[in-house]
Amino acid sequence: MSATALRAPLDTAPAPTPQSVAEAAPLPDVLPPVTPRRGFIGFLRRNPTIAIGAGLLLLMVFVAAFAPLLWTADPTSLAPARRTREPSAQYWFGTDMLGRDVYSRVLYGARVSLLVGFSVALLSSAIGLAIGLVSGFVRWADGIIMRIMDGLMSIPPILLAIAMMALTRASVQNVIIAITIAEVPRVSRLVRGVVLSLREQPYVDAAVAAGTRTPRIILRHILPNTLAPITVQATYICASAMIVEAILSFIGAGTPPIIPSWGNIMAEGRALWQVKPYIVFFPAIFLSITVLAVNLLGDGLRDILDPRMAKSV
Amino acid sequence: MFAYIVRRVLATIPVMAIVALFVFSLLYIAPGDPAAVIAGDQATPDDVERIRQSLGLDRPFLVRFGEWVFRIVRGDLGVSIFTNLPVSTMIAQRVQPTLSLMVLTLILAVSIAVPMGVVAAWRQGTLVDRAVMGFAVLGFSVPVFVVGYVLAYIFALELDWLPVQGYTSLDQGFFPWLENLILPSIALGGVYIALIARITRATMLEVLQQDYIRTARAKGAGQGSILFLHALKNAAVPIVTVIGIGVALLIGGAVVTESVFAIPGLGRLTVDAILRRDYPVIQGVILLFSFVYVLVNLLIDILYTLIDPRIRY
Repeated sequence: MSATALRAPLDTAPAPTPQSVAEAAPLPDVLPPVTPRRGFIGFLRRNPTIAIGAGLLLLMVFVAAFAPLLWTADPTSLAPARRTREPSAQYWFGTDMLGRDVYSRVLYGARVSLLVGFSVALLSSAIGLAIGLVSGFVRWADGIIMRIMDGLMSIPPILLAIAMMALTRASVQNVIIAITIAEVPRVSRLVRGVVLSLREQPYVDAAVAAGTRTPRIILRHILPNTLAPITVQATYICASAMIVEAILSFIGAGTPPIIPSWGNIMAEGRALWQVKPYIVFFPAIFLSITVLAVNLLGDGLRDILDPRMAKSV
Repeated sequence: MFAYIVRRVLATIPVMAIVALFVFSLLYIAPGDPAAVIAGDQATPDDVERIRQSLGLDRPFLVRFGEWVFRIVRGDLGVSIFTNLPVSTMIAQRVQPTLSLMVLTLILAVSIAVPMGVVAAWRQGTLVDRAVMGFAVLGFSVPVFVVGYVLAYIFALELDWLPVQGYTSLDQGFFPWLENLILPSIALGGVYIALIARITRATMLEVLQQDYIRTARAKGAGQGSILFLHALKNAAVPIVTVIGIGVALLIGGAVVTESVFAIPGLGRLTVDAILRRDYPVIQGVILLFSFVYVLVNLLIDILYTLIDPRIRY
């Protein structure tokens, strides 16, 4: 009897939940399935930096391409009678000291920046890739090439570009060449490093063991693996090339003054900037936004293309 | 370790030789014939030829390069075409403002960027971290002269707290000197801060996951001492490396910053020399800047052995 009395509490139902404790709503039988959005929109959602960067960059490309249709006037037509007008309904960004429409000049200036940025990125990637591959595969050339690259890298890039520009006539083409020469050493070093580490991969050993010839190894096994870091590097080079172009033009060693480029517009506005700051500020804003767009794109690409690098920087 | 230092110093010789060769070629292929300039308008071709021979301009490239290097090593950088002053004298007159600007920027940038990076790593994923990373992207994207103009507009023109431009020599007191350099230093420091903060954060993130950090925490070390004594010390090598590499940014940026803030330093000298095509001056400045850059990075390499006793050569 006493034994059952002791066991009794175990047989009874559990004590009712105290009033103060809220009871969670029962879970639904099936949790709603998580459907990751696929396709283009999903990709943009998962990579907001790429979405913002690419969006802004496309906008700039659009502006550059369709500058004549975007309510611009001739960016080089002079009108001394209406010089240094403040921004207004007629002159959206005002006019400069020669009466030229700053809005039109800034829009046309996008062409120079983008042309220089894209060209330098493409050229220096291609040249750097070639040099880096040679350096990574041809033992005797490696020492010489890398010493030369070290030498060039020990000249600050802007000074190197300035030195090249001092030798030649001012033209957009020469600006592109000068900045490319300044950027090539860095790409070469990057590619060489990637090539050297790829050469140690088991699959390259396997290819060698299978009797694959070197050109084919480079083409099939090395080259595709260098493309991801090069693409990321190319976007950063594009951004820095646009800044260097603006700096060169700003100090009078870049794009010839007759071509409206953001650096040139700022250089011309420099003398008046304390009284007419808008001449300097509008191209400055466009330049900053464009470079920001390219940098965001680069960060986004780095995160998806090069996870190892993304972790380190 | 002494052997390492000797080897490291010797390794800079080929690098400087490449720089010298490049800079010499610059003058060699520069347009314009110095002999014709010196001979003047009335000279006959015979006169020009005689002057060319007396200057030794008719001798082979390598002979002239050898002689030129010999002169440079003795500190003779040639004579400016424009002012007829020795280039070394012109450089000496302009060193103080540039050195002041760069040293102040260096101190400012390191003392802002390192704590920024440390805090961002400590509070990874929080608003603070995002703010720091956002600032870093901005720092990379907004060019030096844009930051310079915005700062000068706000703090000098609108608020009238600091002088708009110019430079006061250190002889005339510390505070007048500092007052003139604050805005240029902040403008110049933007990219540099972004670079250092990013690397600091990335390295710290890695270090904070190490076992010895857990041990430090377990034995009851305070948060500050963990971050700044245990972790930062171990993260020092990549950070110091990037501080050294970033000096190239300071040099390139100084050229522009001095133009924006009308500081009569080496950057202005460079810009003026380019506009006048004064090749000996361009040569001298590039040589000097590259030498400083190589020297800084050499010192940093040697410094590793001091800051990180784990490194043994």
